[in-house]
Amino acid sequence: MNSVLNPRVLGAGLLLLSAVGLAMHGQPDLEGKWEYLAPEYESRLTHRDVFIDPAELLHMMNDDYIELIIYDVRDERDWNIFHLVDAERIPLDQLPTQRKRLRAQSSLAVVVIVSNDEILATEAWKRVIALAKPNAYILEGGLNHWLNIYGVLDEESDSHAAASLSRPDGTLRHPFKMALGARHAAARPDEHIAPQREYSSRVKLLKKVAKAGGCD
Amino acid sequence: MAPFDLVALLGTTGSYLVYLGIGFCFGFILESCGFGDSRKLAAQFYFSDLRVLKVMFTAITVAMLLIFWSTALGLLDYDELLVKETYLWPGIVGGIIMGVGFILGGYCPGTSLVSVATLKVDGMFFLAGHIAGVIIFGETVGFINEFWHSGYMGRFLLPELFGVETGVVAVMVVCLALAMFLGFGWIQRLVYGKQK
Repeated sequence: MNSVLNPRVLGAGLLLLSAVGLAMHGQPDLEGKWEYLAPEYESRLTHRDVFIDPAELLHMMNDDYIELIIYDVRDERDWNIFHLVDAERIPLDQLPTQRKRLRAQSSLAVVVIVSNDEILATEAWKRVIALAKPNAYILEGGLNHWLNIYGVLDEESDSHAAASLSRPDGTLRHPFKMALGARHAAARPDEHIAPQREYSSRVKLLKKVAKAGGCD
Repeated sequence: MAPFDLVALLGTTGSYLVYLGIGFCFGFILESCGFGDSRKLAAQFYFSDLRVLKVMFTAITVAMLLIFWSTALGLLDYDELLVKETYLWPGIVGGIIMGVGFILGGYCPGTSLVSVATLKVDGMFFLAGHIAGVIIFGETVGFINEFWHSGYMGRFLLPELFGVETGVVAVMVVCLALAMFLGFGWIQRLVYGKQK
């Protein structure tokens, strides 16, 4: 009885119990971590601070100063039909593979997540924030909106018209004649020839704070 | 969610006061544990005084559990904490150099500062040597640049090494600490006939 009440034994037991409890509880996954981060970041979604106009993305695609990363989180079928030049197809379940890369980005890096509309991209944005808190944005209206602005009539079957952006369901609403991926003219329109749009810039470059610490 | 930007929260002066307070507590604990005395520190390596092992390993274990429980409960974003990136080969060589220096000099850099605060002359000489070593290293590291950057593994952690969950590693570390406390205590009793 005496040895059990020994402070050393009690301390050791407490440490071990705490460690076993931790092993049983586990660490939060990306969705769990987002739940914790939501109070801080959810307002950026609700205020639409992270949704950028297609014209702003086009401008960044032509800005050599910015280290632009475009994540296309759609399925392979839609990717093969059309995607932006320099975009990378990273499905939602493969986003964790980008952790080290995102953490190593400089203050000039901007991540833009695209999907057909905003549904999948918003889900991906939450996971990317939970993953590494990069300077990440979402293409407003998705690629359907992009193609409404920069799409080329001859590349689409039937009569090309601006696709409705209301009631988004995650589908690509522009019927292309051929699946040419990034070889469509709309994959990287010439900024000077493309329709000019007024937009309020949302992208702000991060100010990186050097981390410090350690012992000895 | 922590870690917090103290400068944004408290201003520059406020954050400096926090650093001062933490530094004071750290130094106070080190000194009160006897870490300002090179003889007590070096005694660790002869198994005659196990306070370094017990205090440091207990502190590491408690900090580990606090950090990962805080992460598990959403109070802390562990990814935002600084974890030194691993450069395997220079890390091993540096560890050996530091270990030898610790045995010979009786201090590590942190504890030498504690000893200087209590005006111990050996600590002052150790610290002077430490500063000279830092300067010489800084001026010559360019000659061993290739080795200095060899074995790069990035932010590499034990869960990745063993391929298990963080909590499992925590259990392993606690068991290792307890085993070492018991094992080294047994050696101490074997060599010196008693446990201090």
